[in-house]
Amino acid sequence: MILPEFDVLVPNTVAEACGMLSKYADKGVRILAGGTDLLVDLRRPIVPSEISSCDGCATHKTGNVRSTIDCGWWESDSSPESDRALLKKVQDSIHQYPGYLISIHRIKELRGITTNEKGSLRVGAMTTVTEIERSDIIREKWTALAEGADSLGSPLVRNRGTIGGNIANARPAADTFIPSVALDGVLVIQSEKASRKVSVDKFATAPGKTVMEEGEIITAIEYPAPPEFSGSAYYKLANRKALEICNVGVAVWIALEKPGGPVADIRVALGAVGPTPILAESVKKVLIGKKPDEEIIKKAAKAARDDARPIDDHRGSAWYRSMMVELVTDRMIRLAVKRAEGEA
Amino acid sequence: MSKNNSYRILNTRLPRVDAIDKVTGKAIYTDDMSFPGMLHGAILHSPLAHAKILNIDTSRAERLPGVKAVVTYKEAGTRPYGVSPARYDETIFCHDKVRYTGDEIAAVAAVDKDTALEAVNLIKVDFEELPILLDGLHAMDEGQPQLHERYKNNICAKVNWHFGDIEQGRKDSHIIRTDHITSKMQDAAFLEPQSVVAEVDSHGNLTMWSSTQAPHYVQRTLAMALNMPLHKVRVIKPAVGGGFGPKASCSTVELATCLLALKTGKPVKTTFDREQVFLHSRARHQFFHTMTTGVKKDGTLSFLEHHCIMDGGAYSSFGIAAVYYAGSLLGGPYRLKNMKYDGYRVVTNKPACGAQRGHGAVIARATFEVQLDRIAEELGMDPIELRLKNVMEAGETTCNELYVSSFGMKEALEAVRDSAAWKKKRTLAGKTRGTGKGIGAACGFFVSGAGYPIYRSKTYHCTVVTKVDEVGGGVTVTSGAADIGQGSDTVLAMITAEELGLNLDDVKVVSGDSSLSVDLGAYSSRTTLMTGHACKDAARDIKRQILEVIGGKLNIPPEKLDLKDGKVVGINNDIDFSALREEYLQEHKGFTDLPDGPELTFREASRIAFLEIGSVVGTGSYRPPKLGGSFKGATVGTSPAFGCSAQVAEVSVDLETGEVTVDNITGAHDCGFAINRTQVEGQMQGSMMMGMGEALMEQIIYNDKGRIMNANLAEYKIPTSLDVPHLDAIIVESNEPHGPYGAKEVGEGAIMPVIPSILNAIYDATGVRIDELPVTPERIIEALKKKRENK
Repeated sequence: MILPEFDVLVPNTVAEACGMLSKYADKGVRILAGGTDLLVDLRRPIVPSEISSCDGCATHKTGNVRSTIDCGWWESDSSPESDRALLKKVQDSIHQYPGYLISIHRIKELRGITTNEKGSLRVGAMTTVTEIERSDIIREKWTALAEGADSLGSPLVRNRGTIGGNIANARPAADTFIPSVALDGVLVIQSEKASRKVSVDKFATAPGKTVMEEGEIITAIEYPAPPEFSGSAYYKLANRKALEICNVGVAVWIALEKPGGPVADIRVALGAVGPTPILAESVKKVLIGKKPDEEIIKKAAKAARDDARPIDDHRGSAWYRSMMVELVTDRMIRLAVKRAEGEA
Repeated sequence: MSKNNSYRILNTRLPRVDAIDKVTGKAIYTDDMSFPGMLHGAILHSPLAHAKILNIDTSRAERLPGVKAVVTYKEAGTRPYGVSPARYDETIFCHDKVRYTGDEIAAVAAVDKDTALEAVNLIKVDFEELPILLDGLHAMDEGQPQLHERYKNNICAKVNWHFGDIEQGRKDSHIIRTDHITSKMQDAAFLEPQSVVAEVDSHGNLTMWSSTQAPHYVQRTLAMALNMPLHKVRVIKPAVGGGFGPKASCSTVELATCLLALKTGKPVKTTFDREQVFLHSRARHQFFHTMTTGVKKDGTLSFLEHHCIMDGGAYSSFGIAAVYYAGSLLGGPYRLKNMKYDGYRVVTNKPACGAQRGHGAVIARATFEVQLDRIAEELGMDPIELRLKNVMEAGETTCNELYVSSFGMKEALEAVRDSAAWKKKRTLAGKTRGTGKGIGAACGFFVSGAGYPIYRSKTYHCTVVTKVDEVGGGVTVTSGAADIGQGSDTVLAMITAEELGLNLDDVKVVSGDSSLSVDLGAYSSRTTLMTGHACKDAARDIKRQILEVIGGKLNIPPEKLDLKDGKVVGINNDIDFSALREEYLQEHKGFTDLPDGPELTFREASRIAFLEIGSVVGTGSYRPPKLGGSFKGATVGTSPAFGCSAQVAEVSVDLETGEVTVDNITGAHDCGFAINRTQVEGQMQGSMMMGMGEALMEQIIYNDKGRIMNANLAEYKIPTSLDVPHLDAIIVESNEPHGPYGAKEVGEGAIMPVIPSILNAIYDATGVRIDELPVTPERIIEALKKKRENK
């Protein structure tokens, strides 16, 4: 792996981290949590992935990275130092490299899985995916999140990767993000001056883009206590059984008024079928207040399909994903209902 | 099955000689190596798939502090090289144009890797873009962009064969079917990326350490392309983390690193990033097979007409052999009198394809075995019965003149049929077809070592020199054979230990060095049979010399003596060795671990032999006899022996999502005789997983500019440990008359039936045939949807 040059800062407290975030904001700064996404992102490819035309130059119809800056540069006589500076400019122009990484691994308050007296769950942002996977309380009460953790990457990735990082990275297929939307997770976001809460389903705005502002850091994710007769489930459809980016991921949380009885509330989250994980709002209209029988679940799954916005890419086609959203939603609602009724 | 013979070492399950070093991290791979003053190399790859090179400006790279050398075609020259002399179409660096994204343009040596990579980015290349050709199927069409002047219509190689009489075969047929299968280019996904260290000594001798499968071929190519005498070039293979074919030919990274070492006079190391492994490729071609097969009413095969287009990417590499193998290896394992083959290997603006486990024959085999299943269904015959009806037996010759001297095909088929409870599960087929559970079978056929070297030559294919320790006790086997993880060092140690009555720990194997001996390397599943022969002869040569000395001293004919369990034994067990014991003890005053007991130890015997005749050195050389017919291309596909295999795969398919779970694979392979049973099973299990990946997951994906979209092991999917089903590996031993102790190949033959058995099982489970590999969930759902719509 070839990495660009950067400095690493290691704060001991959230306050210190926030200070560093604002101080170095203009130099380009990224938070280093587990690093399983960030370091891959920073990796410089051997062959640049973008080849720009050489603007305003008649001789070079096309060029590689080196032609992305003005051709005059090549003719000018300059020193090795300025070559280096120019090279950096070229590299920065094709990829935004940060000057600083803030490694938050020493901040103790960012770790841990706790529940409060009301039964709601708080997961520190630096909690590893493995810790979530192994938490009995999460598996029992926030099952979809445990299942998301199970399916993420490989044991090596799960040991390093964190839930905060997985969500902050804002990829539509993120395996803890999708269940967190269904489980109505709320992100606790801290800056030097203030703290605010953002619902996970409102967090991502585009692939890799979020509502986070300069100087902010996620400290925890909070999940409401599950009411009686509720249950959740997550399934990731992929080509192999580990180390996969999901083709379609569906997380469902459902609450019934009583076993077999009408649906009190439902949240269905769809992954990899839009620019961000999607909360399928239409499903609520179909299911709430209704008895979750086969026919109505089918209708709800169709509604989820209509909410999805899949595209064709090298991982799969839109038509297949669209079909699978409906199918997997159907299966997951049924499984969540069973769990709500204490059967599975 | 277990060992049923008198061997002490052979046919057992001894641990590999390199096992402990590998699992403890002690083994030295090329990238682990470092020398004082060593420089680091980096390569400039083309960002474009097809373009003219107008100008290369290296001035800025050269003046970057820390840069010691920048080389392009100007330094490297434009001598063409390649794998087969008939198709030398590569130069060390591109000079007139680039032909794929990743084509190598220049290389830099600098004080560290970062500086070298930075310098590469300071090389300015002016390109003029050319139209890109990515579609292999239509590469021969009029008006397509042309890659090489010498390959008119982009045809790099073609084969037109006709054995027997196709027309007669047609007339004799009751059923005639035509089917297609296409595949995608693949990556071999070995664990260790290519790595090279090169050094030049004060006498101008070039030594290169490289993660290679074939030190000898690489030595030849280096000498040729760098314009050096062969004896001044030495290639050493440290521990290698897998090859599977792509490391069997000399690569630009090897040539460029040597060139940088020659230019700077310093050691230089270059190690590929995983991305570069994909860019360099030289792995499995993309195949477009069309087969028409006819059978008689009773299931007897009457003819095969086979048309194949292979997309080979930008250069020939091993492709000329691959296009022959794709046709020739369908000559077996079934009796087939009439066979026609038209094979075309075309070039496109993609990384070059070469050899990969099973070489050109894997997808051809899959196509044919799937077709046999479809024929069996039309005939209303059990697919295994249809195969059993047609299998060849030992002593038969195929229509393309391949002689099979041993052949456990029938035994292998019966073994998997019975072991997988085929009959019981299959009788349900009529009722369960398309219900999500499926079972499928297939066979395979492969060479046990190519009958001829890649370059035309009378050369021995391998030699082994074994020397007795002059202090007595152990022996050292020296060989050019390349252990790339397949375990050939263990095979050589076991053969030597068996012959000399030694323990494995007293046999040292030094191998993988072109200065030790000529050995064509680890490809075409040749090492156990070929180097095994040479190794056996070298050991026997030593044994003869030792026993002659001992016999001479005791006045006993040497044939009345033997080496067993570390001792010299008399056939009648009544020899008095005390005089020799005395001689040995006289030599070792002050030593405490001296031998006692009535028998003469190997330690004593070997020391006494040295005292008597000087160095005790045994040699062995092997080359196959003249093989094959006299038609054009008859040499490809010949082998001193042929392996064969059968497999049953069981799968579960989710008919709504298309997800496939392989539940069980039962494979049987005829390896002639298992030198090491665990290693044979390991090769079979490895083949099963590699084949499963190829059947279900693996494909290089290109965008419309010819750039690989998944040049990493996160997005290029191979099976993970969680995907591994229950594997049952059954060893069949047919005692090959041309193999040492009856042994022949398992390394590649074992992959042949994997893909088709899984495809046939998927059909059984789903009721639909997928003719495009890999069979992804999406392709299954697409096929099921089509089937429903056609109803």
